[in-house]
Amino acid sequence: MKPILVAVLLISGLSTHLSSADAYERHCVECHKELPTSLQRMFMRYLLVYGGEENVKAGLKHYLKYPIKEISVMSDLFTDNYGIKKKTTLSDRQIDEALERYWERFKVLDKLK
Amino acid sequence: MLVSKNRATNSLLKSEKKSLFRFLTLYVAMVLFSITLLSLFYYQSQEKLMLSDQRAMLTKYAYIQTKRLKVLHHFFDERIDYPRDSRFKSAIYDMENIKIFSLLDDENIRFHKEIYITNTHIHLVKTLDEFYLGTKYLIIEVEDSGAWRGEIWKNIIGYGSIAFLFFMLFGLYLAKLFLKPMRDSLLLLDRFIKDTTHELNTPLSAILANIEMMDTDVMVEKNKTKLNRINIAAKTVSVLYKDLTYLTLEQEKTNHDEVIDIRELVYDRAEYFSILAQSKHLECKLDLEESTITIDRRKFTRVIDNLISNAIKYNKRHGTVGIELKQGMLVIWDTGIGLNEESIPFVFDRYIRFNNAEGGFGVGLSIVKKIVDEYHMSIEVESKEGEGTRMVLRW
Repeated sequence: MKPILVAVLLISGLSTHLSSADAYERHCVECHKELPTSLQRMFMRYLLVYGGEENVKAGLKHYLKYPIKEISVMSDLFTDNYGIKKKTTLSDRQIDEALERYWERFKVLDKLK
Repeated sequence: MLVSKNRATNSLLKSEKKSLFRFLTLYVAMVLFSITLLSLFYYQSQEKLMLSDQRAMLTKYAYIQTKRLKVLHHFFDERIDYPRDSRFKSAIYDMENIKIFSLLDDENIRFHKEIYITNTHIHLVKTLDEFYLGTKYLIIEVEDSGAWRGEIWKNIIGYGSIAFLFFMLFGLYLAKLFLKPMRDSLLLLDRFIKDTTHELNTPLSAILANIEMMDTDVMVEKNKTKLNRINIAAKTVSVLYKDLTYLTLEQEKTNHDEVIDIRELVYDRAEYFSILAQSKHLECKLDLEESTITIDRRKFTRVIDNLISNAIKYNKRHGTVGIELKQGMLVIWDTGIGLNEESIPFVFDRYIRFNNAEGGFGVGLSIVKKIVDEYHMSIEVESKEGEGTRMVLRW
């Protein structure tokens, strides 16, 4: 009985991980490929404006849901050229998962030497 | 007639000592409290002064480090080496107080303070307006040698001691002022006693000599009783006179110590006071062993006279007076009114009297105590109100 339970838990854990990875890869990386500014640089802009993890995530989430030029962290030159993104169609859960992945991928913490 | 302060006046009474002790305790406590408070303010102001000196330098370091963080932010993550400086150590924290990176020796950070001292370091907390690398708080740390502390302590101890000494001298002056009215009244009483006793000697001697010379055999019984009463009264006044003379004139005289047969002296004095004891129908119990002491006869007589006369004076009618003499110890006891427990510590104070029914100035036992102390003897008072008193003299 026990090995089966462990297997089920492993599979469900792996699938959750894969799905959050998917959310980020499919909905974020795909679109940003075409932009001249990397996700890394955009992350640093968010970090510069919002500071801590919670703030960055909250700021990003708000912008994804209600994208307007006034609250964009990007320069005017950037927004004039590439415009403002469309309002997200992702659910809150999907946004949170994608943001979690984004944060983990580019955070400064533990990277400095 | 002017009288200079004598030894008796100069020595403090127990009640005076108690008042003085209370005043000085309170005064010392207040002085110590004030000096401690002032020292604390001084320490804090000096610490602030030192920190304001350090602030300028640390702010400059923070500015330099901020510039470096800005560069690192723009080149992250091609460059990941945190900027280091030999003059200071630093750390960066985000707005949730989560450590991003730290080189600090002392990680005990107080985010709400701008500059502070930890055990061995000084920290400056700089809040950034732009969060380079997510940094909200930049901490700059330098070592604190503690040299400034040594200087402050030296000043506190030095000036504190001078201030304490000054206030103590001032306190003593205040205490003297505080006790002056008490002393003045004692001095006035001394002066009065000295002036009056001088005039008592001649009439008193005449009365006592004439009583002794009177032929009682030819007297009728009624006159004998009257003469007895005169004798008692004269002897009571005589004891008082001798005490007062001793107190005001004789105690300054040089001692003529000699070996005294105490049994003989006690017997003589008991005989002298027998007429007083008879008047109160007292039973006298003498248990006298052979004993000697080297002392000034005049002074030892004052001790014995006062103890015996008190035992008679404060006794009940048909009571008992006991005198026990052993080697190194003389006990005089009575079955009189006794003293309550609170009064016993003050029994040897001058002008202190616990019973106004009997005459006197309250000087007898203070004389006893002075003589006892002078000859390094001891005297104990055991007394119970309503049951009697036991005076135990040891040498």
